[in-house]
Amino acid sequence: MTMSSTPTLMARHRAPYGDLAMALLVIASLVAIPYVVESRYLLGQVILALFYATIASQWNLLFGFAGVFSLAQMAIFGFGGYATAMLCVYFGWNIWPALPVGAVAAVVFSLLIGLACLRLAGVYVALLTLAIAQALYLLIVTDTECFRMVGSACRQFTGGAVGFARFGDFGTRALFRAKWLVGNYAIVSVLFGFTMLCTYGIVKSPIGLAFRALKDNPGYAVARGVNRFQSQLLVFGVSAFFTGLAGGFYAAHFQAISPGILSLSQLLFIIAATVVGGIGTFWGPLVGTVVLMVADEAMRETGEYRTLGLGLIITAAIILMPNGLIGRLGDVVGWARKRFAAKAPSLSATQ
Amino acid sequence: MLDKRSLLRGSIGAGVAGMAALASVKPSEAAGDSGPIPVGAALPMSGLSAADGIEFKNGLELAASEINAAGGVLGRKIEIHVEDTKDMGADVVSQSMQRLVDRYSVPVIINGYNVGTNMVEMDVAADNDIIMMHANTLISHNEKFKTNPERFYGSFQMDPPEFYYGPGCLSFLNDLIKDGKWKPANKKIAIIPSSVEYAVVIANAMRNQAQKYGFEVSLFETVGFPTSQWGPTLAKLRQDPPAAILVTHFLPQDLAQFMLQFTPQPTQSLIYMQYGPSLPAFRQIGGQAVNGVIYSTVIGCLPDDFSADFRKSYREKFGPGAAYITGSQTYDALWKWALSAAIAGGAGKPFDKDQAKKVSHAIKQLVYRGVSGVQRVDPDGQSAYCYPTQVSDPSLGMPHQFLQHQDYKSDPKLIAPALYATDKFVLPPWIK
Repeated sequence: MTMSSTPTLMARHRAPYGDLAMALLVIASLVAIPYVVESRYLLGQVILALFYATIASQWNLLFGFAGVFSLAQMAIFGFGGYATAMLCVYFGWNIWPALPVGAVAAVVFSLLIGLACLRLAGVYVALLTLAIAQALYLLIVTDTECFRMVGSACRQFTGGAVGFARFGDFGTRALFRAKWLVGNYAIVSVLFGFTMLCTYGIVKSPIGLAFRALKDNPGYAVARGVNRFQSQLLVFGVSAFFTGLAGGFYAAHFQAISPGILSLSQLLFIIAATVVGGIGTFWGPLVGTVVLMVADEAMRETGEYRTLGLGLIITAAIILMPNGLIGRLGDVVGWARKRFAAKAPSLSATQ
Repeated sequence: MLDKRSLLRGSIGAGVAGMAALASVKPSEAAGDSGPIPVGAALPMSGLSAADGIEFKNGLELAASEINAAGGVLGRKIEIHVEDTKDMGADVVSQSMQRLVDRYSVPVIINGYNVGTNMVEMDVAADNDIIMMHANTLISHNEKFKTNPERFYGSFQMDPPEFYYGPGCLSFLNDLIKDGKWKPANKKIAIIPSSVEYAVVIANAMRNQAQKYGFEVSLFETVGFPTSQWGPTLAKLRQDPPAAILVTHFLPQDLAQFMLQFTPQPTQSLIYMQYGPSLPAFRQIGGQAVNGVIYSTVIGCLPDDFSADFRKSYREKFGPGAAYITGSQTYDALWKWALSAAIAGGAGKPFDKDQAKKVSHAIKQLVYRGVSGVQRVDPDGQSAYCYPTQVSDPSLGMPHQFLQHQDYKSDPKLIAPALYATDKFVLPPWIK
């Protein structure tokens, strides 16, 4: 017991230099990108990557840290986006107040899902959350009843297969004119940074430890007084807030939201990014998203081999790096530390 | 001397992941004023609509080769660049278009159709001051254009919006009754859309106007997109057989499956479908079961003498199974843009608003007779006029064509509008 707990305690009390260095690198990159990248397309891809990394980080919080295998992540993201759009369309709200309210709506939606499925465990949670996500998709796309007229076109309450468009934007087009995309990039970067900061705080807090304990050894955690249902409901809600908020920002950035966002392929990309980066590691989702998006970009000219190439990368990552890129990096750092620790006494003995 | 940007570029840029990708989106050398004119196309080259994406690309390539052989646009050759929009959607399509602008400096993007975009293409065109032509066939284009004509001056829908399918189809059915070619047992119609904007808007237009044309909607059922299991829908149709079944879903493979599952136990109903039956895959999969099916399209190559050379060249170049009806859409669009750019004195380039406006003005002024009929821009929504639903003069509107599969081994027959018809309507084999 003592033997095994000592390194853990050491790890807990070790100053987070690695995280600090990584955070500085990310901040520096985020600040530098608008100066380095002149292409609107690339800036657009970076914005997309930030959205994906935000969603992936929240799925990672849910599954990687708390062990809740939910497949409703894109449904919650879409719910936040739809709630934001509907507040603007039906109540004439400005996008800025609609964003947090949309995020709160996503939390309520998520808590309802949580109440329905957190009495279950493992694969049953996955199946139920996937079923709810698919039901949401079908409810929207099969809504064909005319609710209002837009010019000569009939529109549904949920937006139906069309979704919603032109309900408002960040105001960057009016403010920055030709440089509006840089304005949107700055806003999405702040959202990403805020989400990551809050997530880090949660992961490193006592409640974050409770999440991890429930994932690693539910029986032991419950015996130590951790309430499984309440804790997992809490992580569901927290994760939904940031995911729903990102959904609202996504809708505002593209000035459109449609049921396509709830598609299975989007969810699979988020899961793949987290797996490649490293499930249960703080930086894994970001690294995985960047790697997959850069790989996808690099293979753009390969035509039909592009999808095959991405599949091979994901397969190779799962087989060769089961703990993801960050996990492998951790292995390398650990190995180097051990080597250094082993050499240090012999060096001092020589001296 | 180093400035802030170059310093950052040198010190940080080199370390940023994805520099390879960065290099690949630098504008090409060809973007000058004397080299080839880069023409972009954001097409679904993979995913559900890949078959159409390939034909759209074929249409562009054929038009480009003909225009180049004729000397190009004011002496400049055309060079086609395609971006894959995969399963489409607002984010993928807008990013694909932006890549075409950034990498190739395209002054024009000619798409076929992309689904689920909420017409975000118009924003990309407006933000970059380029011309964008498409055949999404959506009334959303018109509605969006009306919100800010000054901003969306460069966006053109090369065909009439899908809205006109609704009244056009109901009017066609009434004409069949009036001419004594069809004697329905009742005036019930069943409308079956799938869950995409195109299918839903057409279905709603049919439902909303059914009463005006003397029809009663006995079934309105939305199916998934895509779908191939028609059992539950067919059971409802067999329970209360309508005079006509109007399927507004448009994927050919799914529609062929509908016919394969319908014909073993048919109802005494006319079957009308949307777009998909125009593609070879429909009759290849459906075989004999597709005989009798009626479909319509507001854009597609007319089977007349004028298009004979195009059809011949298209199949010689792309194979006997190639769907010229799809390729003709981008073929006509590129020809019209090239003529307009020549009239305007040049193609221009991104962010050259003055030149883009000149080209836009020429596109609006030019009434172009292509292989799909007459393309004339309706200034209210910058879509093509529809004949005969919108305009009664066939020389000023694109014909809403009604075709029927009469023998699955040969091309479908054009049965309306009368002015263009090559064959007569025949009752489907299952109607006794």
